[in-house]
Amino acid sequence: MFTFRFMIRNISKYWLCQIGGWSTYIIVYTFFFLTLRTQEQPYFYKVLFLDAFLGVIVTHIMRNVIRKLGFLRLPLEQQIVYIFLTTIGFSFLFAFSSIFVEDFLNFTSEQFKQYTMINKTMRASFGCFLFLLIWNLIYFTYHYVVKSRQEQLDKIRLQSLVKELELKTIKSHINPHFIFNALNSIRALVDENPERARQAITELSNILRSSMQAEKLETAPLERELNIVKDYLALEYIRFEDRLNVEYDIDEDTLNQPVPPMMLQTLVENAIKHGISKLVNGGIIKITSDFTQDFHELIVENTGRMNGDFNPDGFGLHSTKNRLMLMYGDKATFKITNEGNDRVKAVVTMPATIIL
Amino acid sequence: MSVKTIVIDDERLARNELRKLLQEFKEIDIIDEAANAQEGLEKIEQHQPDLIFLDIQMPGKTGFDLLAELVRAPRVIFTTAYDEYALKAFEVNALDYLLKPIEPKRLSEAIQKLSADDNRETYGFSNGSGDRQGSLLTENDQVFVKDGERCWFVKLNEIRLFESVGNYAKVFFAANKPLILKSLNALEERLDEKVFFRANRKHIINLRWIEKIEPYFNGGLLLELKGGEKIEVSRRQTVKFKEMMSL
Repeated sequence: MFTFRFMIRNISKYWLCQIGGWSTYIIVYTFFFLTLRTQEQPYFYKVLFLDAFLGVIVTHIMRNVIRKLGFLRLPLEQQIVYIFLTTIGFSFLFAFSSIFVEDFLNFTSEQFKQYTMINKTMRASFGCFLFLLIWNLIYFTYHYVVKSRQEQLDKIRLQSLVKELELKTIKSHINPHFIFNALNSIRALVDENPERARQAITELSNILRSSMQAEKLETAPLERELNIVKDYLALEYIRFEDRLNVEYDIDEDTLNQPVPPMMLQTLVENAIKHGISKLVNGGIIKITSDFTQDFHELIVENTGRMNGDFNPDGFGLHSTKNRLMLMYGDKATFKITNEGNDRVKAVVTMPATIIL
Repeated sequence: MSVKTIVIDDERLARNELRKLLQEFKEIDIIDEAANAQEGLEKIEQHQPDLIFLDIQMPGKTGFDLLAELVRAPRVIFTTAYDEYALKAFEVNALDYLLKPIEPKRLSEAIQKLSADDNRETYGFSNGSGDRQGSLLTENDQVFVKDGERCWFVKLNEIRLFESVGNYAKVFFAANKPLILKSLNALEERLDEKVFFRANRKHIINLRWIEKIEPYFNGGLLLELKGGEKIEVSRRQTVKFKEMMSL
């Protein structure tokens, strides 16, 4: 029993199909022979088994030729042409070899004996052509399907790899401009206000540490993200001084909600970069977190205006959209709009998570 | 030898830090500072400094915008934190820049380079400022020219020709001819007429770049410049041109 199963498993799909196919050939012919026979055919079974045997050999040679010449790697149109040509060629070979062997073994019925070898071969070729064509169609179709499925699989695998890489770089993205500006401010503070300078160094290290850790996290509780943003804004306040005003409107129940790490930070950074830093008199940044129905809504508003040439697909915003899509599919949305003349509003809605 | 200097940066702390660093350099005399490009423009027009330290990213206008609006560009040392756009502009156009936080050694090199450049040329910081009482530009003054991504500091004596194109003027120097947002009339007022001559309605030429002079229709002249440009001198201006040349 064991050896039998072992054998089955070791037989390739190709040989299974060959054996299965030609057995079917024999069974179907026997069936018609038994039910629809109109005249005596003394050598029927011998010829039938001989043909099936030769069929296996001829098609196996054909398969080797196809593989050797690499037809399967050609474009589809060329493949079709080559299928026909090989089928025609091998049907002659098939017909000739079967007629030859039949003659040799003297299986030929009396009525056919009068025909010449060529005549018999040509007659038989028609039938052979049909069988080989079916054989080839199955062979090529099978390989075509396998190949395209493999291609699709590779494509999906590549896409997910790209996504993963993208996500990694997005997460670790802290604007270097911000880091160096912060360091510059801190250096000036060392003389002016040493206490504040020490505090600023702590804030900066918190942000750097968080952005490094973010690479490992899928999601982070809002509270953690909010703390990063608070440190970030405290540092930006050193730079912008009175030009930067911050307001928070946070529903405490949302503090435990999971959010994509560094996403809020990216939005706030954008609000500073495209809003406050462009305004001579500065402005306000307002961060809101609340529930609306079954959704958790995060809003970042800033003074300023998006103008025509501002690209909403810029790195930060584009990545925010992507990350939300990757995490929540189409259940999450991200919108950024001008509100009135001097306010920009970025809204993220995510499905609220029930925390027990 | 004191170099009149203005520091332009939108961050108070950054300006303070730079002031502190510049205390080491006795020749640098910080006469004023500005917190944005507009304020910077006004202070430059008012004080006519020899040198400015200029941040690129500022609210309103950028540092490049500021320079493009100046008639005469002082010596400039750009300062920036890491800013990819600005860094690219610096590399492409070979401009001198300092990265914040500024390394004292790099600062000292930049200042030394300025005075080395000045020694090589005939004028120095101090006597340069002597000429700057009036608003007339001398041959050694430089202008900042920006054309899309590219920008240059150009000495006036390198400029062959200004050509009027609507409200703009096309500036010809070396193999470049970018546009600047200044009318020909405004330029003419500022240029030294001993060197720059209004040949006709559309052109101001640098007399030192004339290669050939030929008579032309109606008693006018045709000038060929060393760059190959051919400029017609109108009849009215021909009289003036001949007068100047005969002196």
